[in-house]
Amino acid sequence: MKKAYKILPVYTGDVSGFASALYELGGMLVIHDPSGCNSTYNTHDEVRWYKQEALIYISGLNDIDAITGNDGKFTADIVRAAEEMKPKFIALANSPLPYLNGTDFKGISKIVEDRTGLPCFYVQTNAMHDYTKGASEAFLAFAKKMLKPADRKIEGGINILGSTPLDHVNTGFVIPEGKTLVSNWAYKTSLEDVMKATQAELNIVVSSTGLAAAEYMKKEFGMPYGLMGSYLDVKREESHNYIVGEPVISGYVASQIKKKYGTDLNVIATTEITDGLLADCDRKCHGEDEIRQALSDADMIIGDPLFELIAPKNAKFVRLPHFAMSGRLYRKEIPDLMRLEDYYNEP
Amino acid sequence: MPTSNDDRIRIADAAFPKPFTGGLEFNAPAHGTWNIVHIGFKIPDAHQIYICADNCMRGVVMTAAEMGELSRFSSVILEEDDMVFAGRLEESTLEGVTDVLNLLPEMPPVAIIFPVCVHKFMGCDINFIYDELGKRFPDVKFVRGFMDPVMQKRGTTPDQRLRKAMFDIIPEGKKDGSVTVIGCDMPLSDDNDIKILLEKKGIKIRDEASCKTLEEYYDLGCCDSLVCSYPAGLLGSTALAKRIGKPLTYMPFTFGYDATDEALSKIGATPDPDGRMLCDNAASELKMLLGDNEIAIDYTAVPRPLSLARFLISRGFNVKRIYLDAVDPDEKEDFEWLAANAPDTMLCATMHVKGRRPDRSGSDSKILAIGQKAAWFEGTEFFVNMIEGGGLYGYAGIRAFLRLMEDAFLVPKDTEDIIPRKGLGCACVL
Repeated sequence: MKKAYKILPVYTGDVSGFASALYELGGMLVIHDPSGCNSTYNTHDEVRWYKQEALIYISGLNDIDAITGNDGKFTADIVRAAEEMKPKFIALANSPLPYLNGTDFKGISKIVEDRTGLPCFYVQTNAMHDYTKGASEAFLAFAKKMLKPADRKIEGGINILGSTPLDHVNTGFVIPEGKTLVSNWAYKTSLEDVMKATQAELNIVVSSTGLAAAEYMKKEFGMPYGLMGSYLDVKREESHNYIVGEPVISGYVASQIKKKYGTDLNVIATTEITDGLLADCDRKCHGEDEIRQALSDADMIIGDPLFELIAPKNAKFVRLPHFAMSGRLYRKEIPDLMRLEDYYNEP
Repeated sequence: MPTSNDDRIRIADAAFPKPFTGGLEFNAPAHGTWNIVHIGFKIPDAHQIYICADNCMRGVVMTAAEMGELSRFSSVILEEDDMVFAGRLEESTLEGVTDVLNLLPEMPPVAIIFPVCVHKFMGCDINFIYDELGKRFPDVKFVRGFMDPVMQKRGTTPDQRLRKAMFDIIPEGKKDGSVTVIGCDMPLSDDNDIKILLEKKGIKIRDEASCKTLEEYYDLGCCDSLVCSYPAGLLGSTALAKRIGKPLTYMPFTFGYDATDEALSKIGATPDPDGRMLCDNAASELKMLLGDNEIAIDYTAVPRPLSLARFLISRGFNVKRIYLDAVDPDEKEDFEWLAANAPDTMLCATMHVKGRRPDRSGSDSKILAIGQKAAWFEGTEFFVNMIEGGGLYGYAGIRAFLRLMEDAFLVPKDTEDIIPRKGLGCACVL
């Protein structure tokens, strides 16, 4: 059964992905949820919470307000908090109960916007998807609401799209010679930088969370985009060597290994957004049982150490911790993905 | 008295028992308190199974992972389809739990099942699920957990109800002259007068928090009487006492001498006649060390934070702030005493939106915090790292607590490393 997980954790959820994506942009992020989403997020899915301010709150929804659809309290609480905390914008996220009762988030956003004078937008989540979905929707909603066409272009300017600590906690992106980083969406960044994004000439998608925003900017502002390291241009063959995880990062690592060692790796994509991100030899898997079966004939596996729990015993396992999977467990082991030699070597 | 819209209020001006107006909620990065996963693992050999959406699952499964207990934890993921089609939620829950149990290398003797808010809102037939599970797995004892925080604002919390469900499987045992202490997650300390005084009389103590085997857990009912030492355990221990027909005494760790004597006498223990004097002397010595340095207390450290504040203030300590979001109604007398005798003591909310920007601009005093949340809000590395009263009780407990305050005042801690860790006292692989 796809839904049963005997031992593997699930990935970081979509609500946490929403919060991680917009963390540094000065907004007030409100999750319409009774309790738990905030604690889960700041404990297991966020490395910045202790020291770096972000206005991320839950609504503290109770049963009566959920049953009666008391959106007035939710709206009033948001307006009061915004008056006290003075955010740059407000973003709202959903959770299972408001999803079930069909809460009108777009309508609430409009009311909040009218009352506060701040941009307010809804990010489609319901806590039933992984972080890639939530972060992707957050970047897309932010771009749609906040970006304006540029009055000038920066020659050689690039944006990095899809950078959050969930995927890139230690990645030191290398900007090619002759290129200038205009904005990073959205880790170690600022609202001011991100708002300049349309001045760039090119978007680089560094995880699947950045793809939807890249597509939007292409359509809306005519900005082309590419995938990290143009990894799909590196031809890989069918193999029993697998790399398990998020498709862009996995594809990138597989391409680097192919280029350096000639070794073929097939991606087992275990997060939700994969369209246009996989090579012919790669595949998508959902749930512990499917992943276990996909790995059953493996000679070698690269992946988060937790995947070793379901890997065949005779397969060589190369540890590549991923914060969105194992959280704080192997935080200190997470490498700079740009430095292949730090996490993968062949004789 | 109206509730305060601000994040802090003088106790003399505070509404009882809820001083603060509800609103959006902040969550401080202090996680030493136990959640339902930590609590569930107190049943030895039990396997926990949660049935919920991804984002809700993440917090509980990673709690288990950080305890090194993934092999005793499984998940059934709910998706949109489960909420659209009639009967799908029951089917997914039942078949998911069945699959998980069948996949385990050994059938667990106890399985704690956690449906969630969605099950309640969809009108899921929980009894049908348990009846069917009982037929499919007759050798497994099912504990009826629930992870439904949507109910906690107006009723009981999931952890209160979990404790009750966990106690529901304790069989009625014979009377063997012993006393069972139940409901608190902290094992009884050596500085606990319940333990010291009863063992001195030759009475055996059974401690729920210290059970190492399932047999020990089941034997908790083999006692003459029960003691509940923590508020969150009261619902369950009251129900257990009623079911097995044994008297229960509720005695959370308090700093009030009269309350201590009264509770100890109820369980047939004779308080140390020098206890009050020894505590007063210890407090005097500590006061000389601390001087007028500020003290902040939070509600997670001890079950009776206002009795602690009263104890300290009445002995000259400079308690400035008490972090809590609501006052335990049982602390009304201490609340009123503080309002009358220390009216400027500030009650500070921990969940208020302004908590994200804690005001640390006060005095230049070295601040001693009691509890992890107080440590974070005050930004201090001098704090007593304790939850739920740390297994202390009585005069021995008060003296031990004062020693911990002294240690905390003298020896700084790595707050950033310590307080984000979950479940103080649990195994932690971080």
